[in-house]
Amino acid sequence: MGADTKQLRNRIKSVNSTLHLTKAMGLVASSKIRRAGDAMNKGREYADSVCKVVDLLTLCPECAKSPYMSKRETKKTRLIVIAGDRGLAGGYNVNVFRLVKNYPEAEIIPIGKRACERFAGECYYAETFKYSDAISMSRGLCEDFASGKYDSLGIVYTRYVSMMTQEAQIMWILPLERSKAKPTGILFEPDEATMLNTVIPEYVAGMLMAAVRESFASEVAARRCAMDSAGKNAQQMIDDLQLEYNRARQGAITQEITEIVAGSGG
Amino acid sequence: MNTFPLKISSPDGSFFDGNIIKISLRGAEGDLAVMAGHVQFVTSVKPCDFHLELEDGSVKRGHTDGGILTVSEKAVIFLTGSMQWL
Repeated sequence: MGADTKQLRNRIKSVNSTLHLTKAMGLVASSKIRRAGDAMNKGREYADSVCKVVDLLTLCPECAKSPYMSKRETKKTRLIVIAGDRGLAGGYNVNVFRLVKNYPEAEIIPIGKRACERFAGECYYAETFKYSDAISMSRGLCEDFASGKYDSLGIVYTRYVSMMTQEAQIMWILPLERSKAKPTGILFEPDEATMLNTVIPEYVAGMLMAAVRESFASEVAARRCAMDSAGKNAQQMIDDLQLEYNRARQGAITQEITEIVAGSGG
Repeated sequence: MNTFPLKISSPDGSFFDGNIIKISLRGAEGDLAVMAGHVQFVTSVKPCDFHLELEDGSVKRGHTDGGILTVSEKAVIFLTGSMQWL
């Protein structure tokens, strides 16, 4: 009896500590969800506003000649890959990396510790990514695009659909697509082409910022879901082990009584 | 005085959303001020100190690292990467 129940007791203890861990991680994720959601909405709102201005600019005939709008043959692609800073978030990081595998030739710019570990590069943390980082990155990217160092720029991020669903996606940023809206007679100062060149870095930075924040909200939501189901599994395991332990304990007691009775009978 | 709605938006959220009399800042071609009924236009904003004249006549000052000013019929939207109130 002794060895068997002791082993079971140890296992219950270890699963219990895992349960505590998953609970704690789930709670941390829950507390971050609100903040991450707020930040995501703010970032989205800003990106949408900048998008509207860029859409207006793409309608102008003067801007059609801009290097940012010219469609060249895509030889070199750059991808900004946004993954999480930590693991234990279900399939969050894996889904992003799986999507990146479809572009083996692409030059990768990683954001998020996990992405930085996988693809060598300067390390940016997704949680603390600031607008100043985004704008300095985007200025460099825009210069390189205008000088033809690469032909298309995409952002691989995780779209936040709902608390339960997040999906890895790719969003193409450059070259710009001509908007389908009707042209408006709005004035641009000093002129459309100059304006486009000034706005593009802000546009790329805005989109990048929105994508990083959306990815972070997805990461937190994914982690909460993963920790929820891990917690449930751990609880189920503890219940099963407890049952097994009780049976073993009871069996041992019954056996002892039988032995005593048999002994006294003899 | 006529007022118009202004929204100052940044990736960190909205810094201002309300009616004002005038906004003065540094545009691509020099200093400019926008009042109610201004022609619709879009300009880039250079890093500068700007000030808003609020409905009650008080003045609010801020500093921006640059951005985009959109003046449309409905509202004036000032998009800025980063700014702070002075």
